[in-house]
Amino acid sequence: MISFGTLNDTILRNKTKPNPISQMEKLLPEKENTWQLHKYLILPLLLFSLLFVQESFGQTSVPVQGTVLDSSGLPLPGVNVVIKGTANGTVTDLDGKYSLEVAEDAVLVFTFVGFETMEEPIGGRSTIDVTLEEELGDLDEFVVVGYGIQRKSDLTGAISSVKSEDINRLPVSDVTQSLQGRVSGVQIVQNSGAPGAGSTVRIRGVGTLNNSSPLFVVDGMLLDDIDFLNPNDVESMEVLKDASATAIYGSRGANGVIIVSTKQGSFDSETRITVDAYTGVQQVARKIDLVNARDFAQLANELEQNVGNQPLYNVSNFGEGTDWQDEIFRNAPINNVSLGASGGSAKSNFNLSVNYFDQKGVVKESEFERLTVRLNNQYKLSEAVTFGNNLSFIYFNQQNEPGVIANAYRAYPIFDPRQPDGSYTDTSPVGNPAAQLEYSSNNQTNSYRAVGNFFMDVKFLKNFTFRSNVGLDLTFQDSKTFTPVFFVSPTQLNPENSVNVSNFRNRNILWENTLNYTKEWENHRVNLLGGITTQDFYTESLGGARRNLPGEDPSLWYLNAGELTTQTNSNTAGDWAMLSYLFRANYTYKNKFLFTGTFRRDGSSRFGKENRYGNFPSVAIGYNLIEEAFLQDQSVLSNFKIRGSWGKIGNDKISFYEGRPVVTGNENAVFGVDENLIYGATLTRLANPFIKWEETVTSNIGFEFGFFDEKLTGEFDYYTRRTNDILVGVPIPAYVGSANNPIINAASVKNSGIDLTLNWRDQRGEFGYNFGIVASTVNNEVLDIGDGNEAIFGGAVGISGFLGSRTIVGQSIGHYYGYKTAGIFQNEADLSSIPKRGPEVAGDLIYQDSNGDGVVNNNDRVILGSPIPDLIFGFNVGFDYKGFDLRADFNGTYGNEIYNSKKQTRFNTYNFESTYLDRWTGAGTSNTEPRITNGGHNYEVSDRFVEDGSFIRLRNIQVGYSFPEVSLNKLKIQNFRIYLSGTNVITWTKYSGYTPEIGGGSVLGTGYDGGLYPLARTFNVGISASF
Amino acid sequence: MKNKINYKIAVVALGILMSVGLMSCEDYLDRAPKGELTSGNFFQDELQATQAVNAIYSHLRNFNVHVFSYIGITDIASDDADKGSVPGDGGFLQDINDFTFDANNTAINGIWTGYFQGVFRANQVIENVPEIDMDEELKTRLIGEARFLRAYFYFFLVRTYGDLPLIERPLNPDEYKQPRVSKDLIYEFIEEDLSFAAANLPEKSEYPASELGRATSGAAKSFLAKVHLFQNEYQEALTLAQEVISSGEYELYPDYEEIFRKAGEHSSESIFEVSTVALEAGEGGSQFNEVQGIRGNPNNGWGFNGPSDDLMAAYEENDPRLVATIINEGDTLPSGEVVMPDPNMGDSARFSRKAWLPTRPPAGFGNSGANIRLFRYADLLLIAAEAANETGNPTLALEYLNRIRERARQRDESILPDVTVTAQGELRTAIYQERRVELAMEQHRYFDLVRQGRAQAVFAALGIAWIPGKHEVYPVPQSEIDISGGKINQNPGY
Repeated sequence: MISFGTLNDTILRNKTKPNPISQMEKLLPEKENTWQLHKYLILPLLLFSLLFVQESFGQTSVPVQGTVLDSSGLPLPGVNVVIKGTANGTVTDLDGKYSLEVAEDAVLVFTFVGFETMEEPIGGRSTIDVTLEEELGDLDEFVVVGYGIQRKSDLTGAISSVKSEDINRLPVSDVTQSLQGRVSGVQIVQNSGAPGAGSTVRIRGVGTLNNSSPLFVVDGMLLDDIDFLNPNDVESMEVLKDASATAIYGSRGANGVIIVSTKQGSFDSETRITVDAYTGVQQVARKIDLVNARDFAQLANELEQNVGNQPLYNVSNFGEGTDWQDEIFRNAPINNVSLGASGGSAKSNFNLSVNYFDQKGVVKESEFERLTVRLNNQYKLSEAVTFGNNLSFIYFNQQNEPGVIANAYRAYPIFDPRQPDGSYTDTSPVGNPAAQLEYSSNNQTNSYRAVGNFFMDVKFLKNFTFRSNVGLDLTFQDSKTFTPVFFVSPTQLNPENSVNVSNFRNRNILWENTLNYTKEWENHRVNLLGGITTQDFYTESLGGARRNLPGEDPSLWYLNAGELTTQTNSNTAGDWAMLSYLFRANYTYKNKFLFTGTFRRDGSSRFGKENRYGNFPSVAIGYNLIEEAFLQDQSVLSNFKIRGSWGKIGNDKISFYEGRPVVTGNENAVFGVDENLIYGATLTRLANPFIKWEETVTSNIGFEFGFFDEKLTGEFDYYTRRTNDILVGVPIPAYVGSANNPIINAASVKNSGIDLTLNWRDQRGEFGYNFGIVASTVNNEVLDIGDGNEAIFGGAVGISGFLGSRTIVGQSIGHYYGYKTAGIFQNEADLSSIPKRGPEVAGDLIYQDSNGDGVVNNNDRVILGSPIPDLIFGFNVGFDYKGFDLRADFNGTYGNEIYNSKKQTRFNTYNFESTYLDRWTGAGTSNTEPRITNGGHNYEVSDRFVEDGSFIRLRNIQVGYSFPEVSLNKLKIQNFRIYLSGTNVITWTKYSGYTPEIGGGSVLGTGYDGGLYPLARTFNVGISASF
Repeated sequence: MKNKINYKIAVVALGILMSVGLMSCEDYLDRAPKGELTSGNFFQDELQATQAVNAIYSHLRNFNVHVFSYIGITDIASDDADKGSVPGDGGFLQDINDFTFDANNTAINGIWTGYFQGVFRANQVIENVPEIDMDEELKTRLIGEARFLRAYFYFFLVRTYGDLPLIERPLNPDEYKQPRVSKDLIYEFIEEDLSFAAANLPEKSEYPASELGRATSGAAKSFLAKVHLFQNEYQEALTLAQEVISSGEYELYPDYEEIFRKAGEHSSESIFEVSTVALEAGEGGSQFNEVQGIRGNPNNGWGFNGPSDDLMAAYEENDPRLVATIINEGDTLPSGEVVMPDPNMGDSARFSRKAWLPTRPPAGFGNSGANIRLFRYADLLLIAAEAANETGNPTLALEYLNRIRERARQRDESILPDVTVTAQGELRTAIYQERRVELAMEQHRYFDLVRQGRAQAVFAALGIAWIPGKHEVYPVPQSEIDISGGKINQNPGY
């Protein structure tokens, strides 16, 4: 039965047995009403039926009663006992007992969630006791969908669900990282290894040339990020991938939706206390291989000689020298403590949790500390009216490292960090990283945030539920940076101290009103939903800076301590609003045929009046083949469903005032004998007031299956998504004089692929095991990039801002585009016979003359690779034996490339990666690594800098032991588990940088490694207990 | 029970009512940018008209207009200077130096983009200000300034690229594809703008002190004289130059070296400069000095635009203008520091003394408050001398020429004797030579060489293949030809 329960009424598998009565409440809130009303109807019905009874030949009704038990012999209250073929029946009481008046030839049907349904013909008995078996599968599990919950067997959309025990296994601050390798169709890339850094999430490929991030919904509140969540608070996460699932979110759903439900209290249950804590240490997982001081001196000398200068160093003076990476890295601790309490009475329930998370970064002077408090309540005013709230308060404090990683990569190993007198060494032309750690690391950010929602459910007229929900996200964040006076070298100095203060606040308010109608009769189930929602967002930032503070003590790091005459300040703001109408119809016939239709109309303030509203429909059908008669009596196939969907969804993630012809201010000029800066303003760029929604049309066809009683389960989907009207800057000639290209809706992108999920789980006596695989392929193709755009270039790299990525019709977004290397010019003979660019000498790279015209120039550039993987996969294994458990998760990608831009960007002589040791020094010495130079011919955009980014990583391995219940019960502890865990333990990859996961950047130029914060390998030990 | 139902219905009704109320709020979804105006409410009054003109001047400090690419195609391309900095840095400028550049070169792109953006800003004023209800005199002056600046931008563009698209007002989307018109028409367009400016702008002395730096009638006439000179229209050039000379607005500044220091900003010699100020907060300046600053010790900048061996040798013996123009390795600066260039720069590393900053600006060398001199009175005198010589008046030419040398010798009668030769050919050579040493490292040399028809010979002597029929102009950026779908044609030879 489809139930529009509130999102808080989901039933999910917990390790402990669910309290039957409260489960019944959650599952069948209306049933009570129905039964109450039925009480009044049963009497006249019975009387009425008596007439029939007299007319029907010889049928009499007999009383029947009995007890329903579970497989361990305990009574089961709340079990439905229904007379087959009718809507009459009853429910077992607290002792598992029931009693009914039935016809002699009636059949009783016993159903209860989580248990196998049983049928018992009366067969002349007056006492029928029944033992129900627990179900191994989760077919009647409920899944959270947009604006409601739905029985898994009724789903027509592609939705993947991840449960809490899989979510809080990883020691991370950002809960989206737990999805890595667990959900097909989803690629999660950490933006950086820095503590508190977020992730880039891509669901089913990159759908647009603009912001491709999905929508997050936390307890009904729509958000753009969930890195504030305490992983222990999360009950489940659902990833909605196809139109049927996401269309209800209309304009926000084009890039997929991730729904998060937080843990709720239960009615009528004892207070339960949970404790989760872990402590661990992190270390840099892999360093970059750089040369030592002696080799550096050798290579630097060669470089000078190659440009006609004298060598600078006496190589024999040097030995190992300084490993600057060691100077900036450290082993860092990570700690987490979580306390929770939940419980409830008949009228109310609560879930309270407090979490403290502290992570120091593996790069010195970086840290992230967070405190979260959550309070979820529900209160039943009456049978029909329920109030509730989910509130969380988050405080975090973050320090960022001072941009020291790039300098540690470049600094010469021949220098010691400090001189004998204790001062910092002048390491020109590169800044001294050790000095940076001391002088440039005084920054601090504090953030205070409240995220939550308040809701009210009103049930009336039997089948209707009205729900009003107000969601909030309020943030206040302040940052402070102080730079002291220091002198390390003429290029690394600060003559005047300064303090920079900034803060911003966000106010995000959502109000939703929905009306739900549910009706079930005979073979039909119908659920209708209609609603109006609106969201209002406002952000404002304020900043100031002053110089020349009288001292450097932290007690002076406030604006008033600085000079008035040179102060600066800034203040900006922005806002947007949305108004939407939504509608959905679900229909199920005989549990076999499923239909879902949704329609949403959205209006957004980001678009001009002409095109403010968009309409987004979708339809989906499903067919539960398993319900067919011919499949009923076999034990091989336990589930089989085919489903398909089609829908249109929109993307509104563009800038708030895109397309407005804004006058640019502060184009100031200097006039007068006194050299005053006078305000200037004018139009500097063109606008397009006709901007409208980007639209994605997506279709999905898939099937779900289960074999051997749900031991082997899986899902297979094939999808295509086509996004039209993508906003793109269409280049106009520069002589028009606009400072940017006007943005129009012109581009088109297609993504298609296959998502596969397979799970095998079994139990042999005390030994249980499970294996799972998820795999997705993405085929990304650009269909149109707007009139006049032959190609869009992106990904600035190197000295002169060469653009290394290109987007053209017929290829994937942002592939790398440059020269293909084809060996090295060994001698004069090569130089005169092989086509070249012009300035090459012996020892330089040969770039392939791809078009065969005898000259090497821009026309010989070819596609060098793509940052979009061909395959994203993950697999996990788990074993359970007598309280011990072992889990291992792997994830990886295949077929993507990375552009090692830090190797290419050389403004001057810098340190070298060890691959340079293979360089050409004379004819025949190398055919792959050219002679040493800085910049110039050998540093064009070419496959010299494109590396294979495929990888497999042992993401997490965990061994745990749960103490047996028997021994715990003496101490009044419900369960206690202790575990050891390793994260990012090994990564197998060919890539030479810190990590093969390169997140962030615009989609037109992504996959550039400019020197990222390295990945940390973490080992931690933890406990988890409940009382 | 009834109460409960009423209660429920009331709540539901309230919810629906509130939702409906919101639906009818059309303005709810109308959001305007915060802290910024849109074109709908701009160009309404006198203040906004002035601000729009100020924004054109602001563009003169832009990186593409008067910084990196600018010194590239005027000084580095010429025999006066080499690329500078360390090998590998700014590789596209090496191509400019060697004449191995193609239509994709960064400098070519930068100039085209930067200058046409300036034209765009000027056109905004010229199109929209006439309709504003404001003081007519101020309105005319503002339009005059905008036309002066538009002419300035176009004058630089036409000397760089030759034929150009003629954009006299902001274009509508259906007009974005424009062809190039001949450079003669462009020159006519420039002359119209400058004539209007000359007639309607105040003289330098007529501006209040707070407006110092704005375009003047004298500046318009000076540029007009130069425009005629570049078209070999010597008589017109001479007439205009003499108007400016006799106006009494300008005078040679006595101390040559000081012209380029703070004391020499907006001096008696200044006809037109880009005004900058180095605010501690980091605004109001330009990177003009940083890109040419000493690279090494003291570390003032990137070290580009290094004066060449050829320029060193061009000065007459004991010409004090040499030390005022060029900084060599080992020189002692007034601060006492000895100049040590970055060892990676190799031998003969030199820097522009005219772009050197004695003190570090408060927000760093990237925000320099040193004005960018665009037109000095000395330049005008030399234009007058050249024009006079070409129109057969050597006496007049010598008078102007020797004023330059008189100032240059700074009362030391033993150096830089007056020039006395009157034969046109020899006098011409003397004037060309004087132009070189007087205006060295001030971004005039390359265009002068091309105008004077001496480029091929001069570069051949340096081993550079300067091809006549091709290199008189730079190529049109390849991206422009691609985007315009071929409507813009390329210059011959590229």
